[in-house]
Amino acid sequence: MRRISGYFTSLLVIISAGNLFAQDTVLFPLKLRAGIDIAGPGIYLSDKNNLSLEGYLSFDKSEKMAFVLEAGYLNYKYSQYNYDYTTKGIFARLGVDFNLLKPEMSLGKYWAGIGLRYGVSLFNSETPFFQADNYWGSVTSSIPEKKAMGHFIEVSPGVKTEIFRNFSMGWTVRLKLLISGGGGRDLTPIYFPGYGNGGKKTAAGISYFITWNIPYKTKTVITKPEVVEEETEETSTQNTGSNF
Amino acid sequence: MIKLTGHIIIFLLTAVCSALSSCTPGACFEETNAYLKASFYSNVTKEKKTPESLTLFGLNKSDTIYKKKSGVQPALFPLDASAGSCTFIIIINNVTDTMHIVYSSYPHLISKECGYTFYHKLDTAYTAGKEFYIYKNSENITTANEENIRIFY
Repeated sequence: MRRISGYFTSLLVIISAGNLFAQDTVLFPLKLRAGIDIAGPGIYLSDKNNLSLEGYLSFDKSEKMAFVLEAGYLNYKYSQYNYDYTTKGIFARLGVDFNLLKPEMSLGKYWAGIGLRYGVSLFNSETPFFQADNYWGSVTSSIPEKKAMGHFIEVSPGVKTEIFRNFSMGWTVRLKLLISGGGGRDLTPIYFPGYGNGGKKTAAGISYFITWNIPYKTKTVITKPEVVEEETEETSTQNTGSNF
Repeated sequence: MIKLTGHIIIFLLTAVCSALSSCTPGACFEETNAYLKASFYSNVTKEKKTPESLTLFGLNKSDTIYKKKSGVQPALFPLDASAGSCTFIIIINNVTDTMHIVYSSYPHLISKECGYTFYHKLDTAYTAGKEFYIYKNSENITTANEENIRIFY
């Protein structure tokens, strides 16, 4: 009797396994991430007038999408023959990242995709000296320090790869569109945190992140949905029937 | 390991390119002076009329802006940003007059490459000798190609 029930149980397992066989799944770790940009400090080593520090936090909503908060600080000085300029301030970007890799390829370790961001920047800028020349001679003047707020949106494609357990590296190209630079029509900021050249409607940049990943949940992701063959047979029967 | 090396190479290339681009000052190709733009009109027909000869220079200045020049339409008057008014000696077809221009100035950023200039708000423009009649068209004196005054002669 026990042997019969054993065979019966095995048969049920085989039947149910047959059904599962048609559906592929992967265990996908959803993660919290904290990263710092090393491109900014790298640039500072060669250009002491441009200190940019930046970090980010992200939270996987699903295997395809993550919420992202980026924040940073900029201290920028620029001089040329007819003016000096300084700007100092903070910025934040809020948005989402979309992973374009399939879950079975990504496995929570690789990311190649695109991000969308809205950015806001609070900064003080000053022009301690500028000179304008014309027929009447040379006029030297200055523009005192002024607080301003800039807004921009950003599209940021990039890649990230896990290099050690729970640590990844990757770069992001930043394609920015200026909404408002602050400072009005006449005194648009020459450069401002998070955006760059405020005199241009579009700007580009790059970030290179080292990221610490903290898995918080494992999600079972169906990579190949179950195919119900019976429906196909029924459909073919119906099709055949309609031929008569 | 190959992945890590690849990342480091990309990072170094990026850093070098960024450093080079941030250190290279760009060239300025834009107009950096905000001139008052004056078009010439016939006092008889009220139609646009280019002077046969124009001489223009600032009062107490030895340099001329235009010297017996023909075909000038419009004339560009440079303004002194350190003062609130300018006086010019203007000679149109051998008729001389003194022209006063009153304005205020404010700084304007042209671009990162070009730096700053002064824009002006035109208050009044008039001639002392009443040889020419001046009509104010637009008070905004900028680098844009916009007529500010009309000189009827």
